[in-house]
Amino acid sequence: MSDDLDMKGEEIDLLAAEYALGIADDEGLARAGALLADDEDFRRGVARWSGRLAPLLEEVDSISPPPDLWTRIENAIGPRIIALAPEVSSNIHVLRRRVNLWRGYSAVATALAASLALFLVTRPSAEAPTQPSAGAPLVATMEAEGSPAKLVATFDPASRMLLVAPAAGLSAVAGRTHELWLIPADGKPRTMGLLEPGGARRVAIPPAMLAEIKADVTLALSVEPAGGSPTGQPTGPVVAAGKLVRA
Amino acid sequence: MENPAGVRTGSEEGRPLADALTAVAGGDRAAMADLYQRTSSKLFGICLRLLGSEAEAEEALQETYVAVWRKAGLFDPAKASPITWLAILARNKAIDRLRVRKPGSNAGLEEAADVVDPGASALDVLEDAQESHRLSGCLDELDARTGQMIRAAFLDGATYPDLAGREGVPVGTMKSWIRRGLLRLRGCLEQ
Repeated sequence: MSDDLDMKGEEIDLLAAEYALGIADDEGLARAGALLADDEDFRRGVARWSGRLAPLLEEVDSISPPPDLWTRIENAIGPRIIALAPEVSSNIHVLRRRVNLWRGYSAVATALAASLALFLVTRPSAEAPTQPSAGAPLVATMEAEGSPAKLVATFDPASRMLLVAPAAGLSAVAGRTHELWLIPADGKPRTMGLLEPGGARRVAIPPAMLAEIKADVTLALSVEPAGGSPTGQPTGPVVAAGKLVRA
Repeated sequence: MENPAGVRTGSEEGRPLADALTAVAGGDRAAMADLYQRTSSKLFGICLRLLGSEAEAEEALQETYVAVWRKAGLFDPAKASPITWLAILARNKAIDRLRVRKPGSNAGLEEAADVVDPGASALDVLEDAQESHRLSGCLDELDARTGQMIRAAFLDGATYPDLAGREGVPVGTMKSWIRRGLLRLRGCLEQ
């Protein structure tokens, strides 16, 4: 390695240290931002300096946060969107069949549908219902004018699962992500989690949110900064939206 | 409720926390509640020390745990202990707020975070047990003033202009003091 390269490496490691220390000036921050994006050595340097300095945090006293903060966090995190394995994605036809059943025999099919719901998830999950609630599946076709994105969302009350299948036009944008929102009657959007591009997703609806998922509520997908909306409300353009209706 | 040992944990306490993080990565809300129960006092202490305001520390703590929920899959037990990873995440969220709050000073990590996905990079922490052990001794080997300033930057969010004002020296002089201190620190840690 030449002296020039050594000098450059030294300079970059010092910037990594300043960045991890949180002391980099505006110029340093702008450079750090660019290096974080495409310099593996710099990223490693920042990670190492963070690790080196971390023991200093031991001397900070623990202080209990106010008791209601957990409730606020629980409301802010919403459900978590889980990517479905390809073989499970392809099983979505089971749900479609169920939806068709409902269309045809909605009165008679309640019991049958409840048992078919077991096909929706390949293995039992922590959120699996102990008391399946009966009810018709809800379907939303999500789209927006001027946007190529199109999604089909299906909520199955028996399994408490919302399945979201991007049908078209959902592409990755560097530094941005898609966030799914539920907009209940009060008009105040609640996050359903981040939707990365890819195949179908399932969202396990937490019990507290269950009552809000019903016919006529809107599902919307907005573009947000990486990591999701910083405010807890949609901040970017809505690229797809649609109302849940009875299947 | 929380880990009384502070940031570093023995394997006995660290193990279940790592398991909780893994469960959180899989979308387990009960594991998330457990993780919060056990770590939020430490993380709130960090946010409050940096921000000085309860309301802002609460906001920073909320942002921290929302990020944990979404990015728990990025935690790598081979690189850092769970509590170190969480503590650095909370500290960086608090620093982001601090920088945004102070007009005229740095726009903060937030600006840089806008350019890149903070999920992948800013959450990366690489710990070395040997180095962690030596940090305190190595800071003491620096001249007392430099050691104090590095602590103040990391724990209280002091900036170059803050420190320069405190010592009554030009910002440029402060920069070279700190940079020299960081290089000596690295040399000592890597011995």
